[in-house]
Amino acid sequence: MNPSQPTTTTTGDAVISVRGLSKSYGATVVVDDLDLDVFAGEVVGLIGANGAGKTTAVECLQGLRRPDAGRIRVLGLDPARDAQRLRPQIGSQLQDSGLPDRMRVREAVDLFAGPDAADPETLMEQFGIAHRARTPFAGLSGGERQRLFLVLALLNRPRLVILDELTQGLDPAARRGVRAAVDQLRRSGVTVLLVTHELAEAEALCDRVIAMRAGRVLDQGTPAELIARHTGQAIIRFSLPGTDDATTATALQQLNRLPEVHAVTRADQTIAVRGDRAVIAHVGAWLAARPAQVPSDLDVDLPDLEAALLTLLNQTDDPVGATS
Amino acid sequence: MTTTAARPAQRLRRTPSVTRRLLTQELRLIARDPFTLVFTLAFPIVAMLVVGGAFGSKPAHGFPLNPSHWYIASYFTVMIGATGLVLLPVHIASYRERGVLRRFVAAGFPRWSFALAELTLGLLAIAIAGAALLIVATPVYGVPAVQDPIRVAAAMIAGSLAFVGLGVLLGTLLPSARAAQAIGLLLYFPSLLLGVGGPPTFVMPPGLRALAENLPLALVNQAIRDPWLGLGDGTVPLLIVTAIAVIATVLAVRRSRL
Repeated sequence: MNPSQPTTTTTGDAVISVRGLSKSYGATVVVDDLDLDVFAGEVVGLIGANGAGKTTAVECLQGLRRPDAGRIRVLGLDPARDAQRLRPQIGSQLQDSGLPDRMRVREAVDLFAGPDAADPETLMEQFGIAHRARTPFAGLSGGERQRLFLVLALLNRPRLVILDELTQGLDPAARRGVRAAVDQLRRSGVTVLLVTHELAEAEALCDRVIAMRAGRVLDQGTPAELIARHTGQAIIRFSLPGTDDATTATALQQLNRLPEVHAVTRADQTIAVRGDRAVIAHVGAWLAARPAQVPSDLDVDLPDLEAALLTLLNQTDDPVGATS
Repeated sequence: MTTTAARPAQRLRRTPSVTRRLLTQELRLIARDPFTLVFTLAFPIVAMLVVGGAFGSKPAHGFPLNPSHWYIASYFTVMIGATGLVLLPVHIASYRERGVLRRFVAAGFPRWSFALAELTLGLLAIAIAGAALLIVATPVYGVPAVQDPIRVAAAMIAGSLAFVGLGVLLGTLLPSARAAQAIGLLLYFPSLLLGVGGPPTFVMPPGLRALAENLPLALVNQAIRDPWLGLGDGTVPLLIVTAIAVIATVLAVRRSRL
């Protein structure tokens, strides 16, 4: 979560409200009794392994697929019944969609620009494709195509933006640009639903993440909450060169007494301190208070969202695993 | 956010309808695709030259009149069938396959706008190819006088609408361009050989003759040819073709919801 942002507002108006959504393809259950809420102004990430049902769920939200069961409201409308009223209010960056090979960038922008569209030139500049305005779609790189799709998604000033695999195929510089754009969306109050496999991206961008497996929600919360609930501890490693065994033993005892420390181990010269995130501050303070210099090999292994999701997905005793 | 930047006043006043934007774009894309252009414009002309060359310009082989005049309607029907059964289904199915239609749908384009744009595109393609055909046919074989222009025009419009509607419908039903090409050619060539550009039906055995005369493309052919050459008024085939046109157009527009 972006720490500069206010705490996630989950008590406001629900821009997306889903209850009991189910969707099957033949005998395969893809979305299974899914409940989901996204509130105004939130940036929410849907994460999970392949086949978790994320894309099918968001396609139901956009009225691109008819659910087998469940109640969906998006911006107060039923996507199945009110699709024509709803879709112009949603900016979509779809997975598995394209444009005709010979259509040029500027032509695509003009085609999709409605009467209330934002300034296309500014958007194309912002996403770095203005210089490709006359290039046919077939001549664009993967990253340029993604950026064009983002321009199209944001073109008509949507109230809700759904971005499916946002940064797929983008180089690091382009990813930074896209993330900055999502931050801009957040600041302007646009609600964003992000479907992604890029967990670093979800961790950096999302106020809240929803982890899915086999069409159901496994857990949800801020990235920090999920990390705290489902990952191991932070690990701080360092060595204390030039200290004798007695001094080292004393150091280990002191470290063991620090708050939030769960375990202190030593392998050769390296000391590893495990504990909750707060342990980083306590060990840091202990190191700084020592008369010696802070160890040059100091290293912090912080649990991240990827570790949290892997733990979640590996919980084989979870009953939802039966449907996968 | 940059997307809320000042909107140009001109855009507010002058944004064309979605259908018009789609049609303009489709025309641009067709103009950039040499294979489609050649197929649309040259195929009926090549068919005319082949049929004209095979049967000549003098009454023979049991034809009631000059064979190149007998086939005058066929040249137009070849074009109508090619546009409706091959060109449009392949074009639209390729859009479906590549996710272009999904993008249009997700953008909230009105459900009928794509079908309307494609119907107009098909009719324009037929009109332009028809003009090219007449330009070549006039000096080569001569064009016979039209005996009943109103019925001929009605048959051309109804026939074009029927097959363009069928083309849009097929394109939205079939899963891929390859499937559309296979099905389209499977429907087109038997119609072409039996009911339009092949030997006259009166030389065929009774069963084959009944089939050949009742193929939809053959009905279009008959509805154009008979009033053009004064061989009959073509009312029955015209009514059937009109019914096909209405049904195909309605289904195409309904189907184009997704």
